[in-house]
Amino acid sequence: MSATDPILRLESVSKHFGGLRVIEDLTLAVRRGVRTALIGPNGAGKTTVFNLITGVFPVDAGRILLDGADITGTPSRLRIRHGIARSFQNIRLMPHLSTLENVMVGQHCRNPGLRGVLQPVNLVPRNRWREAARAALANAALIQYERSTVGNLPYGVQKRIELVRALMAQPRLLLLDEPAAGLNPAETEALQAQLEKVCAGGGLTVLVVEHDMHFVGALCEAVIVLDFGRKIAEGSPEEIRHNLLVQETYLGTPAAEPMEQHRAYSA
Amino acid sequence: MLGSIYAMVAVALTLSIGVLRFLNFSIPGLFMIGGMVAWASLLSGMPWPLAIGVALVAGALASLLVERFTWRWMRSAQHFVPLVSSMAFLLLFEHLAVIYWGSELRTLPALFVDADWRIAGLIISLPQLAGLVCSIALIWVLTLVLLRTRLGRGLRTIAEDSNTALLLGVDINRIVPLVFLTSGLFAALSGVIFALNYRQVQPFMGELVGLKGISAMIIGGMGNIWGSIAGGLIIGLVEVMSIGYFGADFVDIAVYGLLLLILFVRPAGLFGGALAGQRA
Amino acid sequence: MSGYLEGVLVLLAVNVVFAYGGFLPLAAGQLNLGLAGFAAIGAYASAYLSNVFKLAPLVAIPLAGIIAGAVALVVAVPVLRTRGIYLALATFALGQIVQAGILNLEVVGGAAGYPVAAFIRLPTIAATAVIVVALVWLLFATRFGLAVIAVHDDEGAADLIGIDVRAFQIAAFALGSAIAGVGGGLYAHHFSFIEAQYFNISLSITIVLYVLLGGTQTVVGPLLGAAVFTLLPELLRASAHWRYVAFAAAVIVIMALRPEGLVTGAQLRRLFGFTRAEHVGLPKERTG
Repeated sequence: MSATDPILRLESVSKHFGGLRVIEDLTLAVRRGVRTALIGPNGAGKTTVFNLITGVFPVDAGRILLDGADITGTPSRLRIRHGIARSFQNIRLMPHLSTLENVMVGQHCRNPGLRGVLQPVNLVPRNRWREAARAALANAALIQYERSTVGNLPYGVQKRIELVRALMAQPRLLLLDEPAAGLNPAETEALQAQLEKVCAGGGLTVLVVEHDMHFVGALCEAVIVLDFGRKIAEGSPEEIRHNLLVQETYLGTPAAEPMEQHRAYSA
Repeated sequence: MLGSIYAMVAVALTLSIGVLRFLNFSIPGLFMIGGMVAWASLLSGMPWPLAIGVALVAGALASLLVERFTWRWMRSAQHFVPLVSSMAFLLLFEHLAVIYWGSELRTLPALFVDADWRIAGLIISLPQLAGLVCSIALIWVLTLVLLRTRLGRGLRTIAEDSNTALLLGVDINRIVPLVFLTSGLFAALSGVIFALNYRQVQPFMGELVGLKGISAMIIGGMGNIWGSIAGGLIIGLVEVMSIGYFGADFVDIAVYGLLLLILFVRPAGLFGGALAGQRA
Repeated sequence: MSGYLEGVLVLLAVNVVFAYGGFLPLAAGQLNLGLAGFAAIGAYASAYLSNVFKLAPLVAIPLAGIIAGAVALVVAVPVLRTRGIYLALATFALGQIVQAGILNLEVVGGAAGYPVAAFIRLPTIAATAVIVVALVWLLFATRFGLAVIAVHDDEGAADLIGIDVRAFQIAAFALGSAIAGVGGGLYAHHFSFIEAQYFNISLSITIVLYVLLGGTQTVVGPLLGAAVFTLLPELLRASAHWRYVAFAAAVIVIMALRPEGLVTGAQLRRLFGFTRAEHVGLPKERTG
């Protein structure tokens, strides 16, 4: 397996809900270590792709291959063991756990079995898992929130905590569902810095669903465009910006200006 | 006969669940209130129509009290809260009854002495028949209301989606008390019918009879009125059969065993469609 | 120590054990309305073991707890396939079946009740309660606690994090039932007489209510709930039935005003750790 092999391949994947064909014969590949964006208009099926990759829904047809291994039939619970972690469009932190505890939950898959379950993470102050979680928070400049109730924290902070939680699983493939949505410019910059730091080590591939083109342009090296559950284009951000088909998809009519002008409204 | 009583309790529960998605555990308590207030009124010398009326009013008032303190305050809170509060109300009613009337089993005077018809070798007791007819008639009226009237449509809309109902102009704040009132009346009335027919009441009668109503509702299908009726009759039948084959001791096991079986195999009940948007 | 005080403390200890029996499944997001049934299994099993096999109560009671837990484990698999309200109702049916079943078991007295020969006193009971509380507290200080709360908060996310949701739900259910069984055993060996009628839906409801009153977010909540339920009426010299009325009223009010219960996780964290982020002035950022 060469270093340029795709870490993730979807082969002719289809998914429909009742009569609605959300994903239609989709084939795509994400190259190892390449920060990739998955974009497309609303309803294109981007979050569904994430749900298929993580096993929330079974595919109706096609295969999903992670690093060459066929995970199409693997139960959702086990996919994180294969190295897939994700964040969510609407933040899904555990409201009844503190920040630190939320992050520690992210370590669960690395602590398997009865012995793992009985790790006294909240009892012994110097427990190594607890220390590792604290270090991760410190690394992301979030340590001051470690004992806070997550529900009370600012939206941007919660999003970054969710990212730290996902990283605790030491994934090979990190799926981020609209990580910049709802963030103000300062928070977006902090997120970008955090992601660049995380990817710098190599060994982690990031696949991002996003609407914020500026963010995509700044962070990602490859872009895959979806519409109506099919891939309609892929390439570098620069190439996509000038791709007329993509512009048509987003704007309805062929646009004269490159897409850089089009910045999604981030409330 | 008991089956129709279970059916009425089941209908009361179904109204609550169907429209409000709320398993109203206080309904066995309202059943008891109906029965015991009827007894108490009769004891004090009231003529039986008045006694029944008073019992119904008591049940209705208690039901509105429950509405005030479970549903009204808690729309936004965690989903189990109304259920929990309704359980607390059950305890409240039961123990208030014990405090007020004592915990002994009470007997009602026989109102209709020798009021039996003898037809072709069968003995049909008039009070039982009256109770049965009453139940069926009321349920029938209820179904008509639900299907034919604006009010009924409003109720069914709320059952589907309360937000849409608001948008459509359905006045939830007026309809919800009505639902509570109706289910309370059904529960209390079934308690009255039970009291007049079986002539025994005690503060915990809700647990003996009312809880079977919950089972009837589930077996028949939650949220489905005709299903509840069927469920009630089925339970009545199961009880009679189990008494016949296994003896009276196994009645409860048979009924709750059936309930468990249904919950495992077909939680929607025999006739119910799955409750839309079942919250976990 | 006066007989009266001893009686109250015994009751407190037993209620505390019951409370943790209810806490385990509630912490995982399940409502176990059949708790009394498992308490009954524990009571009758321990009584039978000590009466017939002459086992010491300190052996019979834990054994009975294990038996109750084993039964729970067996039924948990089908029962926990149901969800939410259906789960609550399935456990309710379970409790009723157990109660009805015991009423028919002549070998343990049937409807007439079952006398228990061996007798244990407050120190034993209190010690058992303390051990139960300590064990649950320790358990929740491990990853088990994190996983259970995660399952309670968001099953879907927990699943994607790698937590075996079903396994933890079953574990919480079975453990809670085992603890309830131990409580039943304690009750049996102190009050020297048990009858199926005592282990009814009212008992299950009462236990669940005082657990919820105390709060299910922290390990301390059930303790507080049991304490309030047992001790407050004593302080107010309430009669047996007024105490239930007051308790039920209190639950209704608390559920209306503060559904999380008396003790919340955030509160506890605030007590034991200064959360600087919330108290020191941070730049005013948007929330949500």
